[in-house]
Amino acid sequence: MKKKIPLALVFIAGVSGLVAAFVPHPLVKAGDEIMRNDVLRIIQSFAFILALSSLVSVHTSKIRTRRHKWPYSIVLLASFLITSVIGLGGGVSGRGILPTQIGNFNFNIQTIYQNVIIALSTSMFALLAFYMASASYRAFRIRSFEATLLLSAAFIVMLGVLPIGDAISHHLPAFAQWILDVPNAAGQRGIAFGIALGGLATALKIVLGIERSWLGGGGA
Amino acid sequence: MKIFETLTRIDRRIIFLALGGLIIFSLLFPRFLKVRVFPPVAKLYEAVDKIPPDKALILDISYGPQYQAECEPMAYTVLRHAYKNRTKVLALSLYAEYLGLAKKVLDDVTAEYNRNARSRDDSLIYGRDYVFLGWQPPPIIPILGMGESIAGVYQIDYYGNQTDTLPLMKHIKNYNNVSILVALGGGTGSEKWWAQFAQRKFGLRVGAGCSAVLGADYYPYYQAGQFTGMMVGVKGAAEYEELASSRAKITAERVASERMLSLTYAHLIMIAFIVIGNISYFVTRRKK
Repeated sequence: MKKKIPLALVFIAGVSGLVAAFVPHPLVKAGDEIMRNDVLRIIQSFAFILALSSLVSVHTSKIRTRRHKWPYSIVLLASFLITSVIGLGGGVSGRGILPTQIGNFNFNIQTIYQNVIIALSTSMFALLAFYMASASYRAFRIRSFEATLLLSAAFIVMLGVLPIGDAISHHLPAFAQWILDVPNAAGQRGIAFGIALGGLATALKIVLGIERSWLGGGGA
Repeated sequence: MKIFETLTRIDRRIIFLALGGLIIFSLLFPRFLKVRVFPPVAKLYEAVDKIPPDKALILDISYGPQYQAECEPMAYTVLRHAYKNRTKVLALSLYAEYLGLAKKVLDDVTAEYNRNARSRDDSLIYGRDYVFLGWQPPPIIPILGMGESIAGVYQIDYYGNQTDTLPLMKHIKNYNNVSILVALGGGTGSEKWWAQFAQRKFGLRVGAGCSAVLGADYYPYYQAGQFTGMMVGVKGAAEYEELASSRAKITAERVASERMLSLTYAHLIMIAFIVIGNISYFVTRRKK
């Protein structure tokens, strides 16, 4: 029973999704709307609660048992608590039940987002450029025909997208655009077909109950 | 020969310093670089420019701070262009964490436009000229649901107003009243969901703006006509700015065009290091 009910639910949800995509009958359409607009939202809300309680429980246990890098869990839980209190009590733009302003200083969610999240995220991502430069210097070596082809295409596209590419030759940006339009699009399309077919096969296996690893315990 | 051996093993701190130095230099002494406009951006510009007065533009701002440098100039320039033409705008974000950036763009460009307005009719009024729909989880719900009813999916807007009471929403019911949706995203790939679902099922025209990393993935969508047009990275934003400046005579600051200088330096320094690495690699290999 523990496995049969979830399997039946997945089968019904999967088949109803498939039917809605191919049958334009008003009844099917109405059913699909209910599934999407109501059922899916309710599931999503519970998934949020489950995810947040799991996050708190994992990090609380990490702190309690003093596991590797446990101080970071304190930072995570403290940030979670502070933003939750401000977000739930103060509202998104400081119009909630809690005051989120002391004098001229605002500490509503928008202020936290603009002054903390944006600064931290952009700094983290900016570091990538430095690692990419260092990695490309070390890894981009012409060791084979394929590597030469890759490097040549990379140089043409890198120069072609820049104004300097136009200054070198008027044909360079057009050639860079052709690389993106033709060989790149052909390759990407092939990859997309492969992913789509793989996704379809996996989805069918899950809907039909052949693939059951998502139930826990692993294996089919 | 020793010099070539040294050049095959340049300390990464030297690479960091060279790259950082050039980027700081370009930010301290910004210079505006003119870019050549390519068809993907030109087609997107045309589509936004020709939105009929009875139809709206939906702007999906779903990029995070990581991609702000690339995607934010796109959001600013597309919104300025739409406002300049007095196109009705519905803004939204598919993810809660990106709402802050969406609100920032909307607030900034609206305030910028209203500073030059002479009368109430001339100003942009919330609910009449633009609406910020906010966020509804999960992304598939608004993407498919808005094809049937926008106010049905977003029953309240970002500010808590009942959406169907807003004057603009009395005319904009679903995708039939939307000329084009411009989806701006960084790493989630949400732009292609609009093409895969809203474009395929409802025939909605979709334009995309994405980070340079994702650009290569999106060319098949553009070639197949699922994307009406697209902007890729800072270069794409700079191309749109070029068109907005030359054709729509928008005089606002051209952030992406200025950022092209630091992009140029970064690309050139990377190419230089790769060339140095390869030359020294060949010389030392031949010697062995």
